[in-house]
Order: sequence, then structure tokens, then C-alpha cells
Amino acid sequence: MTMSHLAPLPFGFEDLAPFVEKWARPTETGRNAIRWSASAEEFADFYATFMPRLASALERLDGVALDAMNEGEKTLFLLTAAFAEAAPHHELYGGSAEVPFSFAARRFVPAHGDTPSSAKAMR
Amino acid sequence: MNHPSEPPREAGRPLSHLDRSVAQIRSELGIDPVSVDGIRDPRIYALEQEKIFRRTWLKVATTSELPETGDYKVKELPVVDTSLLVVRGKDGKVRAFHNVCTHRGNKVVPNADFETLGRARAGVVTCRFHGWVFGTDGPLRSVPLEEAFGTLDKACLGLREINCEVWQGFVFVNLAEEPEQTLADYLGDFGTLFAGYPYEEASTIFRYSTVLECNWKVALYAFSEGYHVPTIHAGSLPGFRGIEHADFKLIGPHASSTIYGAGMDTAASTAQFAGVLHASEHHGPRPDLLPPGINPTRRPDFQFELPNIFPNFIIHLASGCGYPGMAYFTHQFWPLDHGRTLWEGINYFRPARTAAERVAQFHVNALHRNAWLEDTATMEDSFVGIRSGAIDSMQLMDQEFLIRHAMRVQQSYLAA
Repeated sequence: MTMSHLAPLPFGFEDLAPFVEKWARPTETGRNAIRWSASAEEFADFYATFMPRLASALERLDGVALDAMNEGEKTLFLLTAAFAEAAPHHELYGGSAEVPFSFAARRFVPAHGDTPSSAKAMR
Repeated sequence: MNHPSEPPREAGRPLSHLDRSVAQIRSELGIDPVSVDGIRDPRIYALEQEKIFRRTWLKVATTSELPETGDYKVKELPVVDTSLLVVRGKDGKVRAFHNVCTHRGNKVVPNADFETLGRARAGVVTCRFHGWVFGTDGPLRSVPLEEAFGTLDKACLGLREINCEVWQGFVFVNLAEEPEQTLADYLGDFGTLFAGYPYEEASTIFRYSTVLECNWKVALYAFSEGYHVPTIHAGSLPGFRGIEHADFKLIGPHASSTIYGAGMDTAASTAQFAGVLHASEHHGPRPDLLPPGINPTRRPDFQFELPNIFPNFIIHLASGCGYPGMAYFTHQFWPLDHGRTLWEGINYFRPARTAAERVAQFHVNALHRNAWLEDTATMEDSFVGIRSGAIDSMQLMDQEFLIRHAMRVQQSYLAA
């Protein structure tokens, strides 16, 4: 699955573009799959580039309502969401895709589905 | 931690009769090792099904999961051999029924998982086997080819109702024909201690579940103390300093305690994500919203309240003080059989307004989910160890008093 259909990042965030294809995914399940397959080098590369830009990304996203993002902002949102979940693997887990000394993450079911607040629902 | 400038607690403070010092806890609950038989022995599990789970009030839903007329939740409760249908009727009331067609016993609402949410449009649910139609308030509305039954007393063939009551937006059921206590009486002072927090405003929910190969009490006990935090969570909560497990309270069959802490070595990314939430009046720490009996002196290092609600429910009330932006989180432990447990962990946040608030919630939720992965790593191993017969008892320290208390209550129910 590629994310090549995502719109380009907003003006000023072009330097993050090389990470969109690898990391940006629309769902927690999708982000999990990428994270679980990432190497320590990939976590380190993503972190080295994104961490210095995190404040700018959050500032930009703080200026837009959750339901009013334009397409470029959505791409930035998904990339920042990926970083939100990937950063601890570099900062805390020594580049491991697994949480050290942990239960198998694949056995943990995100029962809220792809977005919080909606349980696995038939509606 | 010392807070010498704080005023002493007023003697007349409401609910102060619940408070226990460590010395009192030791005196009331003892300090001796406790037997692991209750975990190890399958015959005790069979007794628990009858004497605990069929007698006590069990939390099965929240009203915010069922906001609209016709919204329902099917919940499988193997511990009481029941498929439950919780549904909001046309009159707005939430009721619980056996999810069982009164024709021949089929499930009225089929489900493929332990829990399914849906909406009954037109205020009815229809059994897919032969098309019997029931109102969401229970009555049997229509039966195809009704005249071919000869006689059919439809008035007596509504869905079988289960006692259901709501406290603070938490929906509880009681499987007993006639519960020994109302939910309010069952919760007692716990209901007062935890009441008044705007639980329903925290409607952004991240919910995780897993099936653990362990007895349900191994999982419950693992989440019932703060003693494990510096070791188990050395990865996800590094450098957690000054953790203080305090304000012990005994509340009938329930009990509670408070986790204070001076914080941890916050990672650089966490500091920025947390900053988004802490800067917001909507998501920032709100100790003022805590019920008055929780963190009564409003200590700034309050993290969350850690209770056990008998038999299988925990509400960690944080009000944004512990994990950034998190209002509260809950655990529930559903026995599937003696050696298997469905664990449910749910993080509750207030709805994000901006895109930055939502990604910050993703980060906090991920950290907490990862900490849960560290917690659950111990449970199956502990159960193997206990079943092996290598130890006959557990050694419990002061911060593990919720376990000691829960075991006492279990024993009193089993003896009744």
C-alpha cells in the first residue's frame, strides 16, 4: 500500500516529504503495521528529521479545527500522527519495533477501530 | 513526599470514615502471605461464577456508547453464560435483555465478537432465524404466520429483561432474579466518592482488548497496585520519581487509593505533545474537577485514583493530572473460563478541537498502550508460575492492599 495519493505537504514542510510514502497512514492499524516493520535506522532517520520540525508541525495543526483540515494539512496530520507513535521507539525503546519486555502487540486489538470513539460497530 | 505547608484534613470531612493509615490497613487486613488457591483451583472459579458474577453488579457499557434512541450494544458474558443486549429505548431509557429470541433461543442480534455496537432503526430488533420482531423496550411486536401457532401469548414472550441501572453514565447489570441490593446500595460510599466528575464529557475513547491465558484475578491484581511501576514500566515511563501510593480507603466490597508522583524523565517528543494538551483549558490538568474526597488537599503531584470496584472493574480517575490530557481510564477483567480472561482497557479523553490536540492524544494514548503491553507481559507468566505449584502463597506489601482486600471480599462472597 502506498500513500502516493496523499496531497503534498503544506508550504514550508516540503523537507518532510520523503517520509510521507513510508510512514503516513490513515489508521492506527496501518500505522502499527509500518511501525512493527521499521528498523532502528528508519526510526532514527525519521526522528532526526521530524523532531526539529515537531513544534512547527504542531503549531500549524493547532491552528486548524480537526474537521476543517485541507488536503495538505491532512497529509501533515497523518505524518505527525505516525511520528507521535514512532518517536518512543527511538527515544525510549532503543530503536526496537517492539516495546521491550512486553506482551505481543499484535494480540492487542484496538477495538475502537480506525478512529477513536467508534467501537467496532455495525452502524 | 512531604507537604508540610498543607493544612491537616478536617475531622468532619465527608467520607473521612473511609480513610485508613498503613497501620490500620495492616491491622484490618493482616500482613501474612495469602494463598494462591483461589487463582489455581478451577473449582473455585465455578463457585465464583455462581456466587460472585451472578450476584453482583457488573459494568457492561457507558451511556455515551448509546447516545441515540435505538443504539445498542451486544456483549458476550461467558462467565454467566449470557449474551447481553443493552439498548436505549424510545423513551430514552437504557435497558438490558438476554439477547435471546423467545421463540427457540436464537440470538436476536448476531455478533461475531465479544462486543458489538449497532443501531436498531425503527425501534425494533428482528431475529434472523424466523423473523420475530421485538421492540427495543422489550415486548414481542410481531410473529410471522402467527395464526399457525394455534395459540401464542405474545404478551408473555417479550425479551427477557435483566436488572440494569446506571451510575454516573456507567451501565451496570445484575444477573440475579432479584438483586440483593440496588446499584446505589451496592456501590455505597464508592458511589459518593467518585460521583460528580463529568465522565460523559470525555467521549473520545481508545479501547483495547486482548484474551489473556490466565485466571481473571491474575490480571485484576496486576493492575491493582503501583509497586510495579518503577520496574515493569522502566521502558515506557522511565525515571518515574517519588511515586507514592497513598490515601488508602476501604469502602465495603470496594477499595481505593491514590497514586501521587513527582513525574518522570519526559522524552523530548512527549514534552511537546503534552504541551499542546497542557496549554489547553479544555485538556489541561483539572484537579478542581475531582470529587472532593479524591486528592482532598489538592496536591499538585496527584496522578490518578486507583480503586477496585468489586468484582472486576477499575476506574483510574486522573482529570488530566496523570497522563497528559487523559480524563480517566478503565480496566475490566472478564473471565472466559478458569484460565482465560478478556481484558479491556479504555482511555477516555475530552474531544479534540484542533488537529494538534488529536495527534497529541494519539501520542499519549500510544505511550499508555505501550505501558499496558508491559503490564500484560507478566500475567500469563504469573499464571503458569502459580499453576506449577512452586509457590502456595503470595507475599503482599502495603501498596498491594487492594489485592489483599479483594481476596477477602471474594472469600466472603464464596462463603455466603
